Amino acid sequence: MDAAVLEGRRLTRTYRLGSTRVEALAGVDVDVRRGEILALQGPSGSGKTTLINLLGLLDGADGGEVLLDGRPVPHQDENLLADLRRDRFGFVFQTFNLVPVLTAAENVEVPMALQGTSAVRRRSRARELLDRVGIGGKAEIRPDLLSGGQRQRVAIARALANDPEIILADEPTANLDSATAREILDLLGGLAQERRVALVLATHDPAVVERAGRVVTLRDGRVAGRRG
Amino acid sequence: MLFWAMALRNLGRNPRRSLLAGSVIVIGFSAFALAGGFMAQTFEALRESTIRGGTGHLQFADPATFTGIEETTLEHGLTEAGRAARVLAADSRVRAVLPRIDFVGLVTNGGRSVPFLGVGLEPAAERRWMEGASLIVSGRWLAGDSRGEVVLGAGLASALGIRPGDSVTLLATSPEGTLNAQDAVVAGILDLGLKELNDRYLATSIDLASRLLGVSGTLSKLVVVLDGSAEANQALTRLSRRLRRNGFNLAGRTWEELAPFYRQVRLLYLGIFGFMGIILAVVVLLATANTMIMAVAERTREVGTLRALGTRPGLVMRTFFAEGVLLALVGAGAGLVLSLIVTVSLNHSGIMLPPPPGAAHPIPIHVKVYALAYFAGGGAMLASVLLASWLPARRAARMPIVDALAHV
Repeated sequence: MDAAVLEGRRLTRTYRLGSTRVEALAGVDVDVRRGEILALQGPSGSGKTTLINLLGLLDGADGGEVLLDGRPVPHQDENLLADLRRDRFGFVFQTFNLVPVLTAAENVEVPMALQGTSAVRRRSRARELLDRVGIGGKAEIRPDLLSGGQRQRVAIARALANDPEIILADEPTANLDSATAREILDLLGGLAQERRVALVLATHDPAVVERAGRVVTLRDGRVAGRRG
Repeated sequence: MLFWAMALRNLGRNPRRSLLAGSVIVIGFSAFALAGGFMAQTFEALRESTIRGGTGHLQFADPATFTGIEETTLEHGLTEAGRAARVLAADSRVRAVLPRIDFVGLVTNGGRSVPFLGVGLEPAAERRWMEGASLIVSGRWLAGDSRGEVVLGAGLASALGIRPGDSVTLLATSPEGTLNAQDAVVAGILDLGLKELNDRYLATSIDLASRLLGVSGTLSKLVVVLDGSAEANQALTRLSRRLRRNGFNLAGRTWEELAPFYRQVRLLYLGIFGFMGIILAVVVLLATANTMIMAVAERTREVGTLRALGTRPGLVMRTFFAEGVLLALVGAGAGLVLSLIVTVSLNHSGIMLPPPPGAAHPIPIHVKVYALAYFAGGGAMLASVLLASWLPARRAARMPIVDALAHV
């Protein structure tokens, strides 16, 4: 078994809603191994998105720690966190989150541009990735002219742009019809295995859970069950 | 480059809002450029009229002349003025050295006597280097040193009821205190543009002024004309040194020191236009701040996405700054074109402006293409836009990523 590339230890996160404190995560342990598909399932409000945010270094935990390659990630240095997200993570969002003024290819280029990759190299890699996700012909099209499935394919290509070790996908199929959702899952799963990328999916879609090698079930911010 | 392209395209996302903000920048830039051009033209015209109106670039006289009031005419006169003039004229940057005698007296037509402020000068040299001869509105300029002629301000001539060709008698007190009189013929009448001067001005030759004052070879001062007003201060230092080396203890002043009116007008204009400039910059700042605040608010989720993908906070700020810079550049470019069109149109319009402070006649509007004003306008617009972008951009950069991603 591969060693964990990403770990969350005793992660807690509390939000304040007015005068009420909401405990979104209450001491969750989770580890992510290279090349595996890990599903985080649970009902709405169970803490799936919060856990994805903490693991993806998008948010800081109130308690516990996130470890990358066994080393704790300091949460104070915004630039360091940005660099880690850029170099080691890929993100796929439920609402695609493409930049509307950029073409499909340019959207895929963004993480590479952040890394300082040359324009020529960026362009050819973006084409290659768009071909790989099956929308090579849409490279010069802006997102508003693409279907939901096509937009999510662009987002997947963007997530793969910098050869990440981990892809975090928060409800990637929630806004898609079932046929497209299946295609997207096939694509994500296939690419993750092909490139030995760890894929962490937050979902309450049974079809997604079915494909996962391991499943962590969350309820009220706690781990309610594990499979695999 | 991708982020500049993004900034440019973002400006096109809400074209109406960008157009509005851009228009404010265009107007702001043009106002700077045109007001600066008008101001520069006014200062230049005022400087030229001060220098060519008789002040010259530099004046040298006995030190007491500049610090006190003469009890009697030529009390502090220059006795070796001819030699001093030759010393000054030897400098390569000096174009002319014009002798002057300042005096006061009464001019009478037999029936009425009016006080005057007189100046004795070399008619031919003055015609060449000063603008007095061009201000003649009736008759002609002084013909020569020994002709016994005078030219008068229009107000003085009117008070006496005289015309060119009429005879007058000048009365003045000599340095020793005796009252002398000389007859003279009125050669011409001048309009000096200032009522106070028109009512008192009288010019005659050095020869007639010397005879009237009972002196020979004594002058009040030497007026120096240089080949460029810009280096007046350097020339003053150089010429003062040259005079000292030749045994003269003379004091010198630049035209600017001798023209408090020029300094006052300059200060007044700088104050007025500076105040307007600040208001303009604030208007531009507020208009573009609104644009940038709206841009950040509308793109909150996009900022969250970019931050999630690994964009450093500083780059998020720079992306918004880039939008501001592009807006300022496009606005300033359009403003430059507009300013040039307006400048050409105004300069050919024949519009007359009311007389400036102290002047008697309306002047045609003229706006100079003043490069410094264009740069200042561009700089002010850019600074305003950057300042306006700073807070919204900072807010965007510091936004918690998860909040930005959840923004609806």
